[in-house]
Amino acid sequence: MAILQKKICMIGDFSVGKTSLVAKFVRQTFSDKYLTTVGVKIDTKLLKLPDGNQVKFILWDIAGSDSLTTTTASYLRGAAGFLLVVDGTRLPTWNSALNLRLAVEKQIGSKPFIILLNKADLQEQWEMNEQAIEEKTKQGWKLLTTSAKNGMNVEQAFLELALLMT
Amino acid sequence: MANIPASVVRYIQSMWMAEMILTYLHVDIQGRLIDWGGYPQHYGLIDLTKDKLVVEQVNFLDGFLDITHTEVLQYLNIGGSRYINVHIVPLDGSIYVLLFDVTDEHNKQQKMQQQVNELSILTYRQSQLLQELETTRKKLSEEKKQLEQAIKLKSNFIATLSHELRTPLTSIMGYTKLLDDAKQANDYETKYLDSVKRNANHLLSLIDNVLDQTKLEIGQIKLHSNNCNVKQLLADLKSLFLPIAQEKNLLFDIKISNNLPTQLIIDELRFRQVLINLITNGIKFTDKGFVEVEIAWQNGRLDFTVTDSGPGISSESQQKIFTAFHRESTAKTLPGAGLGLAISYHLVELMGGQLSVESSPQFGSNFTGFISANSVQFPNNNVNSISHTNIKVLLVDDSIDLRSLIELYLENYGYAVITASDGQEAVKLALQTKPDIILMDMQMPVLDGYNAVQQLRAKKFTKPIIALSGSNIEHDRKYAFEVGCNEYMTKPVDPENLLNTISKIIQ
Ligand SMILES: Nc1nc2c(ncn2[C@@H]2O[C@H](COP(=O)(O)OP(=O)(O)OP(=O)(O)O)[C@@H](O)[C@H]2O)c(=O)[nH]1
Ligand SMILES: [Mg+2]
Repeated sequence: MAILQKKICMIGDFSVGKTSLVAKFVRQTFSDKYLTTVGVKIDTKLLKLPDGNQVKFILWDIAGSDSLTTTTASYLRGAAGFLLVVDGTRLPTWNSALNLRLAVEKQIGSKPFIILLNKADLQEQWEMNEQAIEEKTKQGWKLLTTSAKNGMNVEQAFLELALLMT
Repeated sequence: MANIPASVVRYIQSMWMAEMILTYLHVDIQGRLIDWGGYPQHYGLIDLTKDKLVVEQVNFLDGFLDITHTEVLQYLNIGGSRYINVHIVPLDGSIYVLLFDVTDEHNKQQKMQQQVNELSILTYRQSQLLQELETTRKKLSEEKKQLEQAIKLKSNFIATLSHELRTPLTSIMGYTKLLDDAKQANDYETKYLDSVKRNANHLLSLIDNVLDQTKLEIGQIKLHSNNCNVKQLLADLKSLFLPIAQEKNLLFDIKISNNLPTQLIIDELRFRQVLINLITNGIKFTDKGFVEVEIAWQNGRLDFTVTDSGPGISSESQQKIFTAFHRESTAKTLPGAGLGLAISYHLVELMGGQLSVESSPQFGSNFTGFISANSVQFPNNNVNSISHTNIKVLLVDDSIDLRSLIELYLENYGYAVITASDGQEAVKLALQTKPDIILMDMQMPVLDGYNAVQQLRAKKFTKPIIALSGSNIEHDRKYAFEVGCNEYMTKPVDPENLLNTISKIIQ
């Protein structure tokens, strides 16, 4: 039987940690050095679900931006869900995420997504607004605090997205 | 290229990418790989199998096989270091996937974007830091304001407290004096009474100093500059300190420059306070030798120096000596709160001058200062020539002898005199008869002079009041001015001097 294949997009402003999250998830590596993504980087990862089934993730790590450009919009076609990444140490990336979500939905329709508040290891620089987060949680959004550096909730994030898509 | 339809070839040629390594995949309507050409392995596409689903072999095509028009994916990386531009071209029910290597172009773009992003993050961090700095600054200035407020409250509290302490203490002193006067005391009792007096005096001067220092801190001390007979003032000081110096076997002198005018416009009370502080210190710390005061005047500036042959002050202490509550280690055994010099320093500043110290262990200390002091051309009136018939004087004293004596004297010079024997009566009479001037004894039964003057001033009595006091203690003099007296004369009063003072004030 052919393995179920799912296309997942990494969306978010620049330097929020999209590439780092994928690197941690796929290769268990992390680098402090920042190398911005231009275009899109495609990776695959086989994931075992709690029910024993396997799913093959095709991960599209898209160049970061605060809005959707025509180039990036074309990458979204066929996505089954997406991870919306925010840099917890830069408040403006939260608003970028909210804008991007609307733009993505316009492009490919409503798809499952999870907001990742990344860089949780940098607590002393944390700029997230608890109230805004609570508000979104109340609306039924799924939010996770992650760190590509120490691995916190990284596996969890992909797994939960997989569950949202089945 | 033989397998590619002419239209697709034309499409490729329109891209001007002739030098790029062309690779293509041909996919049928069911999504199966029919054919490929060029160098798929260049992009990492190996083990391609015909007639198998293409999305299982080329993952990124998932989702792109149902397109209706040409779709371009820019800068795609599917592993390795190569970047591909992917063109998906639907044609007659099948799909051509064209791959172009754009690695060089990508790398150029990437470098540029990298710089833009890094700069943007840097700017953001910088603005955050500035904001943090601003917040901290705001917080600090808020805290500073609160601290200043707290200090002010505390100073106000100390001022009130000192004032409250003063009242019962004056009464203790008054009654001690009465007891002393009334009684033929034996040796013991005299000794005890002296001790009470001495200690009460000390306590009072301490309280007064704290009060002054606090008022200086909160800017509550205002100067009252007026005509002052400086020569008289210095003569007073000399007679005040000479016996004290002699008791310690010290030489004491006040030297005055020839051109010192008799009258200067200064705050007499405060200038006197400064000199008293400096002279008292000099005498207190000097065990052998001399204490000398020099006074000179020139062009609206009054210079003064107090020199002693005492132990001197170390140079590091000289820097702290004018700070409130600073006390020399040599002074630990002597009484005092370390306020005198701080108060003097600030008072001199307030009087438009400066106070400084020079000292060495061999030669002793030298306090030098100046204040601004303009001279006055005081019209030299002959007191006796003025008619005093219309001038009403209220004379208040509990001693009947003194009352009759002064009354007689004043009436001789044509003043109309009304008398009262205690403060309460004085207040009543003053409000009824509205005298032009009041001569007020300070120590009286029922209601003392200080309270009487205070009440009168509170009831808007504005005419001059001269305090007649048995006390030549400095704080009594100061307190009299504070409650609203215009002059302070110590008993026994010289009648000539009294007349002069009255006519000067009435003018
Ligand atoms: N401390 C910490 N640093 C992180 C974390 N995730 C990413 N970073 C760092 O953040 C910077 C950006 O990470 P990337 O993964 O390149 O971010 P990106 O979202 O892919 O950025 P673009 O490709 O420019 O959109 C890098 O220097 C990473 O090392 C994290 O969880 N903790
Ligand atoms: Mg990236």
